[in-house]
Amino acid sequence: MAKQPQTTMSRALVRRETISGYLFLLPSLIFFLGFVIIPMVICIFNSFTNANMHPGDVQFVGLKNFIDLWQDVTFLKALKNTFLIVIVSVPTVCAFSLWVASAIYKLKGPVLSAFRCIFYLPVVTGSVAVTVVWKWMYDNYNGIFNQILKGVGADTINWLGDSRFAIWCIILILFTTSVGQPIVLYVSALGNVDQSLVEAAQVDGANHFQVFWRVKWAQMMPTTLYILVITTINSFQCFALIQLLTQGGSDTNTVMFYIYWTAFKLTEQAGHFGYANAMGVVLAIFIGLLSAVQFRLAKEK
Amino acid sequence: MKKTHRILALLLSLCLVVSLAACSGGTGAGTPETSAPETSAPETAAPSTGDATSISLWVYPVGGWGDETKVKALTDAFTAETGISVKVEYLAYADGDDKVNTAITAGNQPDLILEGPERLVANWGANGYLVDLADMLDDTDKSEIIPAALAPCINAEGKMYEYPMCMTAHCMAINLDAFKAAGADQYIDLETRTWSTDNFIKAVEALYAEFGSTVGAVYCGGQGGDQGTRALINNMYGGTFTNADHTAYTWDDPKNIQAIEQLLSMDGIAFDASLQGGDEIAKFYQGALKMAFCWNSAQQLNPNNADTGEGKTVTGEEIVYMNFPTADGSPAELCGGIWGFGIFDKGDAAKIEAAKKFIKFMCDSPSTADAVSTSTFFAARTSAEGTDLTKLFDNEMMNDYAALMLPNLGDYYNVIKGWAAARTEWWNMLQEIGNGDDMTETIATHMANANAAAAG
Repeated sequence: MAKQPQTTMSRALVRRETISGYLFLLPSLIFFLGFVIIPMVICIFNSFTNANMHPGDVQFVGLKNFIDLWQDVTFLKALKNTFLIVIVSVPTVCAFSLWVASAIYKLKGPVLSAFRCIFYLPVVTGSVAVTVVWKWMYDNYNGIFNQILKGVGADTINWLGDSRFAIWCIILILFTTSVGQPIVLYVSALGNVDQSLVEAAQVDGANHFQVFWRVKWAQMMPTTLYILVITTINSFQCFALIQLLTQGGSDTNTVMFYIYWTAFKLTEQAGHFGYANAMGVVLAIFIGLLSAVQFRLAKEK
Repeated sequence: MKKTHRILALLLSLCLVVSLAACSGGTGAGTPETSAPETSAPETAAPSTGDATSISLWVYPVGGWGDETKVKALTDAFTAETGISVKVEYLAYADGDDKVNTAITAGNQPDLILEGPERLVANWGANGYLVDLADMLDDTDKSEIIPAALAPCINAEGKMYEYPMCMTAHCMAINLDAFKAAGADQYIDLETRTWSTDNFIKAVEALYAEFGSTVGAVYCGGQGGDQGTRALINNMYGGTFTNADHTAYTWDDPKNIQAIEQLLSMDGIAFDASLQGGDEIAKFYQGALKMAFCWNSAQQLNPNNADTGEGKTVTGEEIVYMNFPTADGSPAELCGGIWGFGIFDKGDAAKIEAAKKFIKFMCDSPSTADAVSTSTFFAARTSAEGTDLTKLFDNEMMNDYAALMLPNLGDYYNVIKGWAAARTEWWNMLQEIGNGDDMTETIATHMANANAAAAG
């Protein structure tokens, strides 16, 4: 007899807590639905249409946009550049940040904080400010790099105007703005490695490399996976640098930039919104696939 | 105690939801996208029959019309006379089109916009977004507005989507001190501001021999200021950019190819994909380049917008505006800038009427002199309601410029369909040619793309 009221009370409590939980969730949920899920659905829908800036003209075109993409020389070039950026920047960012983190994580508090600040500064500095400074340095006429080349008697290089160099210049800037967060994360992950396992391995005769590879690296795998995924996504979405430095010229066009250009600049082109949305869908598929592969490999490891 | 906690939790949740709703309602008035809904939301309703008391205006930076203080003086005068307030948003050329196109898509476009025929007539007007202003044009207006300024504002069907206010002719400029130092001043006619292509080549050679570096840049880092590279290439040997009826691009004109080949062969000229028009002006102003192909009267008046003195580089060297070189040394065919107002058709007759009053005030009234002077360009008409507009500036340079350059306005071909796509093709074409790609094939490919856009 005494059990019944208690159960009723518990259920009421659970219900109230559930409602409270959902209410707390609601603001984020509205943002998530409004700015992620709904635009995603609209994007996928539009990718099968000839949507443009003139409302009322929209017609279903099936897979036409996706078929046209593979015959579009500009898109294929942009895709090639995007993959080049990802393939070069993701491993280098991971390797460099791991190397720096390994070198600094045992330093004393203030020195470690100073290094963290130095490497994190480009991340917290506005991307426009960083890009403008790099643009000055790359300047063909008065930039510091060409002043140095002139100083040593070498020919100057049109860094952002020469297709042999421009994409590498952009990758370099992307690299400097991408390493800050991975370094901080790796420093933290290295500090959290279980020292008893390290000591046990050393007692068993493991050398430095074996300790690192068999013990530390294995424990840092979740951090590495996170870094790989965010660096991959950031590299795929490289936009601001292109917009501010080359406008997609000098063979630096990327898929993200071409999406923007098609959607908002080529407004006289029939079905430009639909075509840009199709590119967005293709890009999302590539990002999803690569992230899935990274998850899979990390899981196997 | 528990009850208090629950009430607190509920209140907190409500606060979060309300604050979220408040945040999503608007994020400030700094950009056109955020402020436009304020003015346009009611206008999407049924046509109004009353008098409009406020209108919205978006302006591209047409000379001084990009300066808020100067424009406010003009709009305040309009408000004082009509009682209609004007909410102005300032656009940049870099992303102004994005903002306008986004606003059109969302139905949040302004009542009025200030720009040129390539956007107002060939794009937004042709797509049915603007009001036909032909009823604002009577016989007096037709006689007062300069024909070269009026023609591009009216499309082939006779619809007028731009009421012209001011105009200029885009030209090039040289650093006269550098020319004198290199002995290249012998190749220019300072009286008529003309030179032949042969003399241009000799001048570049002399400058390169003197300074040992690039003296002029065929900038192709983007579409900004591309009228300069178009005019240079077209004028050198008399090529054309489009056909006469503006239905197809003619970039493969042998005279254009001859000009591009000549420019490519010159040591002092670089096809520079790191510069756009604005960058080129800055390099010229700083003295790195000895000639600029992106120039006009406003730049001559205030080079690089740096307020360091009329017709002077940063180091005080003398800047001289020039015609582009032509095969026989006759005056060039210059690209024009013709700016005026268009009215977006949002179905509100009262707003349209108020917008027309604004256009009348700025373009055809005793206040027109102030409106045009603010732009630092020249009036698109000779007089307005009895006010002479031919000598607006108490400035010798501006009067000389009007006499020497305005008569050289060439065909305003920018009204061709597919203009935005063609501009992208043009600078990409120059980049690829500069990189050493096969010229014939590159021109053919990009011209075909541009013509595809022109064909719709």
